[in-house]
Amino acid sequence: MAQHSSKGARFQAVTANRLNDGEVVYFKDNGWVEDFAEAEIADGLEAAEALLTRASPDNLEVFILDPYLFEVSESDNGFTPVSVRENIRAKGPTVRLDLGKQATAH
Amino acid sequence: MYRYDEFDHKIVTDRVNQFRGQVNRRINGEITEDAFKPLRLMNGVYLQLHAYMLRVAIPYGTLSSKQMRMQAHIARKYDRGYGHFTTRQNIQYNWPALDRIPDLLDELASVEMHAIQTSGNCIRNVTADQYAGAIADEIEDPRIISEIIRQWSTFHPEFSYLPRKFKIAVTGHKNDRAAIKLHDIGIVIVRNNQGEIGYEVHVGGGQGRSPFIAKKLADFVPAEKLLAYLEAVMRVYNMLGRRDNSYKARIKILVHETGEAEMRRLVEEEFSKIDSSQMLNLPEAELERIAAYFAPPNYESLPAQSDSFETAKQNNAEFSHWVKTNLVAHKTPGYGIVNISLKPIGGIPGDATDAQMDVIADLAERYALDEVRVTHEQNLVLPHVKLDDVKEVYDILSNHELATPNIGLISDSIACPGLDYCNLANARSIPLAQEISTHFADLDKQYDIGELKIKISGCINACGHHHVGHIGILGVDKKGTEFYQISLGGSADEKASLGDITGQAFTEDKVVDAVDTIVETYLDLRQPEERFLDTYRRVGMEPFKEQLYAD
Amino acid sequence: MPTKTHLIANGAIIDDPWVFIDDDLPLGDTPSIISLDRLKTEADALRSRNAKLGVVLRTDTQGKTKLGEDVRELAPYLDMLSIIAIDFPVYRNGRGYSDARILREEMGFDGELRAIGEVLFDQWSFMARCGFTAFEIDADIPLKTFNEALSELGEAYQPASDNQRGVLWRRHGL
Repeated sequence: MAQHSSKGARFQAVTANRLNDGEVVYFKDNGWVEDFAEAEIADGLEAAEALLTRASPDNLEVFILDPYLFEVSESDNGFTPVSVRENIRAKGPTVRLDLGKQATAH
Repeated sequence: MYRYDEFDHKIVTDRVNQFRGQVNRRINGEITEDAFKPLRLMNGVYLQLHAYMLRVAIPYGTLSSKQMRMQAHIARKYDRGYGHFTTRQNIQYNWPALDRIPDLLDELASVEMHAIQTSGNCIRNVTADQYAGAIADEIEDPRIISEIIRQWSTFHPEFSYLPRKFKIAVTGHKNDRAAIKLHDIGIVIVRNNQGEIGYEVHVGGGQGRSPFIAKKLADFVPAEKLLAYLEAVMRVYNMLGRRDNSYKARIKILVHETGEAEMRRLVEEEFSKIDSSQMLNLPEAELERIAAYFAPPNYESLPAQSDSFETAKQNNAEFSHWVKTNLVAHKTPGYGIVNISLKPIGGIPGDATDAQMDVIADLAERYALDEVRVTHEQNLVLPHVKLDDVKEVYDILSNHELATPNIGLISDSIACPGLDYCNLANARSIPLAQEISTHFADLDKQYDIGELKIKISGCINACGHHHVGHIGILGVDKKGTEFYQISLGGSADEKASLGDITGQAFTEDKVVDAVDTIVETYLDLRQPEERFLDTYRRVGMEPFKEQLYAD
Repeated sequence: MPTKTHLIANGAIIDDPWVFIDDDLPLGDTPSIISLDRLKTEADALRSRNAKLGVVLRTDTQGKTKLGEDVRELAPYLDMLSIIAIDFPVYRNGRGYSDARILREEMGFDGELRAIGEVLFDQWSFMARCGFTAFEIDADIPLKTFNEALSELGEAYQPASDNQRGVLWRRHGL
């Protein structure tokens, strides 16, 4: 599996998959959202680690699988994931634009 | 076709019930993901990028129309209207919810199918020649022994936690369409001087990070001793296979590090111990019972030539093209083997919609003695079609985008799901296959290029068989960006060979140009009647390399 | 690995009469399980000892190949052994299944065969089929659950070290 963040990453978010249907989810406040645009963004290494800690309490495993940090970058339209992989997770298969999150995006 | 008896039914049903209990325990939080993961994997359930993926076994690539119809039903009811046929004669569903998978498996079981051992470090789905029973000059239908191997390997108590996964393929024909030399065990059915049927056993082939061509360990294992011989190979592997590094855990590494001669000696020694009890002697009655299911269907007695078929070819150039690439001679006069391409120009290799699967099921029922086959090159086959009916079948296929005349041509590439779906992938595979197929869309050009097998993998695990592509493409990740390494000269047939890497990898936008350069170089260099692979084998890498890295 | 275990042998939860003795400790008169190395080096002395003896086959979890000890090295000592314990360092390491079948079917060992280490729910029935008769498992798991696990898959196609004949044979009354 590819590395999800480069060493000098400034902005990061936490993602995981949901147990019941495998849906890609992002950590926000003290819960999980499906839309990357709503994901909580950590600025700096310390904030990122704190975010991951908040996202990974012991009992979480029951319904959220394997939370991890990944790098995002800031642009004029807000944040976007840096890697191809996280972009695909955030949207859906690039070869089936009718499927995944992108299909229901406004 | 094989039909389940009461034992087979009970074994599959027990398994579904067991898995239902496991899923419930997981969803109720009684077991952790760590404990659950190996259980779901043993039932073919992966967690991929967007959702769960379920891999359903299609043993030796054979489906009845009823079973195919069930795939369409599952695609509609539990998934998003399509399924993906893989390079190991399986079908994958990309979106099922975990809590509905037990119901899905119940429905599968109702048509005598399952997802048992389609993942995990166990003996996986047994694959075989897709033309089994239909092609001339076959020594024996490979599905007979494949079904026996399927049963013997199901829930094998000793070999369910092997160092790594284990794949077996069987061919009964001198032309290998099952890539047996790239399997952990490849079996070739042979006949000895006394006219008896037996099995030539090749061990230690495989792709992945370190590809190897299998070594022939036995020239002739008699039918009744095959299971004992297989257990000997498996036991040597289970005892001595490395467990320290998953990339070195396949039997190919053991064979390579042990050496062919020593491996043969170890297997023979183990075989003599296992065989001494005679416990695994396969009963002749069982062999006969299973063989009876694969007896030739009731072919009509027909003239070798069909007038209506010949006329249709003359009157319809497109049909005639399709016949040239997609129709293969059948052993029975008046019949043909119809290949259904799942590689429409610009399409996703191996994907079929629920509607297409229903159409294929109907065609199988009406025109192909109720059988469909799945090929490891991600296409489908109607194995027994009367020549008189071929045009009608073609017309119906055409209406459903299933009559692309490109079997074996450059647009018939195989590709793993890649980074569009797969959690292990480093790069996308499908978009490359689509771009290459679109670039070479012109049929005249494709026919001019001739047989050229492009195989694309999105990571080193090589599910897209890139090592054995005439042109192989491997996706790699460099700091979150996709790059593609190209290799030339691989082949998966009876003259199996591994491709050579051309050199530095290409960025995504340069790959199609690179393939184009390779093709043009071949067209310049080829001699009359030479296929790409022949030319490459004659001239070697240098001329291609010169053109590829000219600047 | 569970922190607290109990032992199920021949279908019942039992108090374990056996003690695992480290190589550097002396052997008392209680039933003792020792390492293969110690068995080999002290075999002569052990033959005259007046208490039951067992051995544990371990897997090298540190070394390069993570292979287990060779079960066939036990051949000269089998008559001295009442129990053989086979360690599963992780459930994924299934080498012990082959060890067990070799002991039962090839070497004819008929004493207790005990699975220790990571011995989980979904492995029990396979272990039983390969000839294990005792299982050291998580103490929280009741006997009922254990027995259910053994009967979840009612039929088997292939022969192994238990007394099931295998469906491929039973279909023909063999």
